[in-house]
Amino acid sequence: MPGAEAKRAVEQQEARLAWGLVVPAVGTILLVALFPLLWTAWESVHLHNLQMPWLGRPFIGLANYLEALRDPRFWGALGHTAFFAVTSVGLELFLGLFLALAMNRAFRGRGLVRAAILIPWAIPTVVSALLWRFLFEGQSGVVNAVLVRGGVLREPLVWFIEASTAWVPVILSDVWKTTPFVALLLLAGLQNIDASLYEAARIDGASAWRQFRFVTLPLLRPAILVALIFRTLDAFRVFDLIYALTGGGPGSSTEPIALYTFNALLQNLRFGYGSALSVIVFGITFGLALIYIKLMGAELTGARR
Amino acid sequence: MLGNRPLVGNFRASQRLRSPGQTAILLLLLQIGCSGSPKGGPVTVTLPTSMLGAEAVVLRQQLARFMAEHPGIRVIQRETPDAADQKHQLYVQWLNARASEPDILQLDVIWTAEFAAAGWILPLDRFRPDTAAFFPSTITADRWRDTLFAIPWFVDVGMLYWRTDLVRAAPTSFVDLTREAASARRQHGLRYGLVWQGARYEGLVTTFLEYLGGFGGRILDRGRVVVSSPEGLQALMEMRRQIYEEGVVPTSALTWHEEECRFAFQNGEAVFMRNWPYAYGLMQDSASSKVAGRFAVAPMPASSGGSRTAALGGSQLAINRNTEHPEAAWAVVDYLTRPAQMLERARVVGQFPPRAALYDNPKLAAVLPIPPAEARLVIEHAVPRPVTPVYTQLSEILQIYLHRALTGQMQPAAALAAAQTDMQRLLNSVGLGTGAAVARR
Repeated sequence: MPGAEAKRAVEQQEARLAWGLVVPAVGTILLVALFPLLWTAWESVHLHNLQMPWLGRPFIGLANYLEALRDPRFWGALGHTAFFAVTSVGLELFLGLFLALAMNRAFRGRGLVRAAILIPWAIPTVVSALLWRFLFEGQSGVVNAVLVRGGVLREPLVWFIEASTAWVPVILSDVWKTTPFVALLLLAGLQNIDASLYEAARIDGASAWRQFRFVTLPLLRPAILVALIFRTLDAFRVFDLIYALTGGGPGSSTEPIALYTFNALLQNLRFGYGSALSVIVFGITFGLALIYIKLMGAELTGARR
Repeated sequence: MLGNRPLVGNFRASQRLRSPGQTAILLLLLQIGCSGSPKGGPVTVTLPTSMLGAEAVVLRQQLARFMAEHPGIRVIQRETPDAADQKHQLYVQWLNARASEPDILQLDVIWTAEFAAAGWILPLDRFRPDTAAFFPSTITADRWRDTLFAIPWFVDVGMLYWRTDLVRAAPTSFVDLTREAASARRQHGLRYGLVWQGARYEGLVTTFLEYLGGFGGRILDRGRVVVSSPEGLQALMEMRRQIYEEGVVPTSALTWHEEECRFAFQNGEAVFMRNWPYAYGLMQDSASSKVAGRFAVAPMPASSGGSRTAALGGSQLAINRNTEHPEAAWAVVDYLTRPAQMLERARVVGQFPPRAALYDNPKLAAVLPIPPAEARLVIEHAVPRPVTPVYTQLSEILQIYLHRALTGQMQPAAALAAAQTDMQRLLNSVGLGTGAAVARR
């Protein structure tokens, strides 16, 4: 039939058009995402040290990876990153949920509060890091003054010379800065929950806690997962905050993996080794993202059922 | 691949890439006199510099005078970042690409060996510079494998600032330093006895180097790392003792860089300070400094087994190996490092000239904020940091272990042993080590 033929021609034309439309996007992705990735992988199996051109640029297989795996500083950096991610994201989620629940209530000036709470999020990370450094630094710093006057500390503490205390400003500044972001994501989730569910729960005589436990929390899980994905992956790449706040010290006890990689790549100009580290970090974040996406997929289909 | 070829081969390869057509065009351009003709228009050389402040102004004036004297050479300044790390990164990019510009490079003292070993800068012996006129340590730092690769431009040295109104004379031994810091601090109710740069960065290594030299130790002996020695341990223990036992150095100094130290000292809060010469002029300004006219400088002290030591810093001029105009570039370097130019820099920016004879010149006394005799005494005790192409990496390892020992995360002996092992392993892995990477920890 001529009609079918014409239809096929149109379909073919549309398919061609579709390809034509997709090609620039795919090309761009290949160019800016895949190409650097492959290039990094290629670098990572070579010895390439800009400072030592006489070593050449030979293929050395997995030697860079083995060096990383044998380096205690690498494992330390990985541990610090994991610690930072778990602690800061945990606190942000807890506080963010609390804030979101508070903001979800109807009260006077709610719009103002919602806007105000975003201010820390709008401050550039380096600026906020320097701000927190200023607060904690020195024996006459603001935090020391407050804690000593308040009787919490007997004498001022030098926060940045001990690992345990150096983490305090690091975590606090991250929590201060990103809790609003988490709160806003969760608030959006809360507002999607049908008010009639609470009504029904109240009629059934459910307490506020039981309403939260059995209505709010289950229905908020997709939003929580989204917040977790964003924040965990962000926390795993933490760099500027710690670079400006502690520089990875004391010793190397707050050094995250991104800072270690930065040192290898841009301070020591070891492109091969630094690329191997980058590939490892990429692998870990990719793995984390996959796990989350799987969880979220199950969650979403589960919610639909 | 590029990196596998020897340097000279690379250079030729890039030359060969020019097609006959390109060559013809180039020749045409040369004849018109746009650039670099041996006859005709002036030769152009480029010099990367900071474009900020008095230093940039004085350099511009000097280059203008140079060009007036040498009509055949034109010098173009190219702006570079002021931060050393960024400047280093930029230089490495240029030189790795075998760019023929910039023709002249301004190197930090710790980069000379790295750039020389990489084959990026020109040996200068053929120009027969008068090396004997410079302080020997500045020339040592500019040699790699017995070849001179850079000319000292100005000198930086670590010095002991002391309060002339609180202490009778500069201490010459660590025992005296600690004792006087403690007693003057107590007597006059000062907050700190002694302040130095103890944060985990390059400054910590320079501070340590001065203690180490004071006890007679060294970091590197040719290809062998020797920092884990009785002297090294004494030096590190002394630093710890001053913090934790004597309490003369505040624990917060372990987070301090140069400026925090200067603020403490110029606010009258410290009896002694280890710092670079830049602080001297700033602290003589009575508008911002409470100690103007009430301090002097001396070399850091030493114990009986060592000698007073000043970490050597400062800037050098070198020539790009791929420059098309080595002679013209040398003429610029030679001009900028002459006594007259150094005196002018001393007057305008207060930098120490690396030429020893200038310290007897009354003109220097008239322009330098520091009495030249005091400065000279410190410079004569100057010791370069390890002259090795991998200095930045060695230093990073040392910084971490020193900081761990000073913040109490590691015992000093264990920290030094581990640092030595890691540093030696690094040297050996790049073919620069001659010692066994002792795997004992």
